[in-house]
Amino acid sequence: MKVFKIEVKPELCTGCLRCELACSEVYTGSFNPSAARIKVVVSDTECSISFTEDCTYCGICVDHCFYDALKKIPEQTEEGGKL
Amino acid sequence: MKLGGFAGRILFINLSTGDIRKEPLDTTLAEKFLGGLGICLKLYYDIARPGASPFSAENPIVLGTGPLVGTDLPATSRVYAVTKLAQSKAIGWCGGGGMNLGCMLKNAGYDHVVIEGSADRPVMIKIFDDDVEILDATDLWGKGVKDTCDSLWDRYGRPMGIMTIGQAGENRVIFSMAYIEGGATMGRGGLGAILGSKNLKAIIAKGTKGVGVAKKRRYRAQRDKLLKTMRDYPYLKEWQELGLIKSLPFFPIDLYKKIKKRRLACVSCPIGDKDVVEIKDGPLKGFTTRSTSMINLITPMVYGIKDYRESIKCVSMLDDFGMDMFEFFGVLSFARDLIEQGIISSEQVHDKIEINSLESLETWARKVCLRQGLGDLLADGFNAILNKFGDKARPYAPYIIRGMLPYTGPRGPLVWELFGTMELGQSLDPRGPHVGASGSPTYFARRPLDQFPRHLKRMGAPEDAIKRILPKPDSPEDEDSLKVGRLLTYSHNWFSTLGSLGICARAQINRFYNAETCAEVYSSVTGIETTKEELMIKAERVWNLLRMANVREGFTRQDDTLPDKWFNASPFKNYVTMRPITRQDAEGMLEDYYDERGWDKRTGIPTKEKLRELDLE
Repeated sequence: MKVFKIEVKPELCTGCLRCELACSEVYTGSFNPSAARIKVVVSDTECSISFTEDCTYCGICVDHCFYDALKKIPEQTEEGGKL
Repeated sequence: MKLGGFAGRILFINLSTGDIRKEPLDTTLAEKFLGGLGICLKLYYDIARPGASPFSAENPIVLGTGPLVGTDLPATSRVYAVTKLAQSKAIGWCGGGGMNLGCMLKNAGYDHVVIEGSADRPVMIKIFDDDVEILDATDLWGKGVKDTCDSLWDRYGRPMGIMTIGQAGENRVIFSMAYIEGGATMGRGGLGAILGSKNLKAIIAKGTKGVGVAKKRRYRAQRDKLLKTMRDYPYLKEWQELGLIKSLPFFPIDLYKKIKKRRLACVSCPIGDKDVVEIKDGPLKGFTTRSTSMINLITPMVYGIKDYRESIKCVSMLDDFGMDMFEFFGVLSFARDLIEQGIISSEQVHDKIEINSLESLETWARKVCLRQGLGDLLADGFNAILNKFGDKARPYAPYIIRGMLPYTGPRGPLVWELFGTMELGQSLDPRGPHVGASGSPTYFARRPLDQFPRHLKRMGAPEDAIKRILPKPDSPEDEDSLKVGRLLTYSHNWFSTLGSLGICARAQINRFYNAETCAEVYSSVTGIETTKEELMIKAERVWNLLRMANVREGFTRQDDTLPDKWFNASPFKNYVTMRPITRQDAEGMLEDYYDERGWDKRTGIPTKEKLRELDLE
């Protein structure tokens, strides 16, 4: 099965939270950043992007990122995961 | 009926009594006034006592977000506040890119927050889901915008929406603004001072309730189509990387890339336009700041500051105090000229005013903000200065509309000689000379007229109106070849649409939306089936309600001021023919606007027939 890992580049993140909106909508049925399985915290000087234990690495967050802060890296393994 | 998109509740907070109550949103409000800006205006109109002064406890502030805010439709995060403004004394709105605030308010479960009364000590409002409190803010009073935001984030964590004022708002500087998370501004017309008059330092919001849409499959199809259009846009990357510098190339791109630390976006925005920059060398090395855009940071260079690093520091200082840069430079330049003319005695002024010196600007910003010496008068704006010094000062005053400095004009801060909708709109905006609501194809110079119909259709103008706006194919080109006044009607309706739904009005965003798309997404999000034509009638209703709110306060056509100086030396030029615009031309455009609106041309007041047609009697 072809899967991928998610590469994060916090320096490119703008804090738009499109990833959190998309994730929460898929898994909870409503747009709710607090319920997203990806967590983005941005300040002027720092940005952290992390994933909760519930994350399945489905990649919906990557599909909705416009800034290349998230990227799918294809690989031939059975499990996805965060790089 | 539970609507999608809307949280379904309005939060009422009385700062005088401490009363907090939550009421369900009346769905007929949504059906008649769309949401966001439209419902803010309606709530204000129903609650406020006509004639209340801006700084009185009887002047409420109505905050709100549109039904699209909190969804993942692109760039839908706008937050609006409606109140009677400090500068123009008119009822108007202040709108800002919502950063996190709009999304958080909606997730906390509120479409609108109505703030009434006035606190007897510094307070802030905490809105965390159902946990709503008025908290003491004595420890924040006296802090700048940045320190206030940092203190609140340290205390409550990120992400969290914050609206705050700086020292300028606390001291009721008439051109003070409110700031959303230090990156978006609200209220050049003086919202900061209104918040300050209520002793309200900040509003913070967090929420976990989620925002649902009514018709998911249809919604997803429309959203994906919009996103694909944006992804396929050939200039997407340039817009993302350069922001306003792409269209206003006033700063070397290489240098911008060198100091750019991060670009920030409001929630859901694929083309974020906020900048975080860090000065890399010189005496200010290491200084880091955030701003609404890099263009904003270099604007003081227009006034004579030579070093871009000092310009960045200057804007950052003004933002931290929380006051509008254009008005600050305007009143300071006016005061300098009056000192030079001996109208203000130089003996009363110990510190020289030097518009091109960072040190002098820092001194005077502090004096204005803290109302020290002459700064106390300057903090009350142009009209206060003119009232004090009378006719002898008038020849040295710049262009003024409703007590404020127009943005654009032949001798304005943004030099722009063509007379399009944004220029005329400065006279017709009850808030004073703002340009944001008056966008149209005339935003770009000398755009060929054959490109106009496509844009006008996008803005929701009907076919018959387009015929009235543009010259007939066989008519000779003359000064009336483009009816700017009639066109402005549809600029305002289009802005009402975007503002009421919650979509960003910036040109690089709203170009991806059109009236039909707006009607489709409004229908799928809310479940209120709305055609394009119905949507535009609701938007028209919103703008007419704005006019009626101000008619109730005594405003008429006479307040739609056209400054004499627009027609004297270096007058504006006709958008098509480049001939100088006369006062008679501009008066004709105003009449065209009233006529297109169905307003009385003599008084500028909506006719009874128009109000009946819009169900606004």
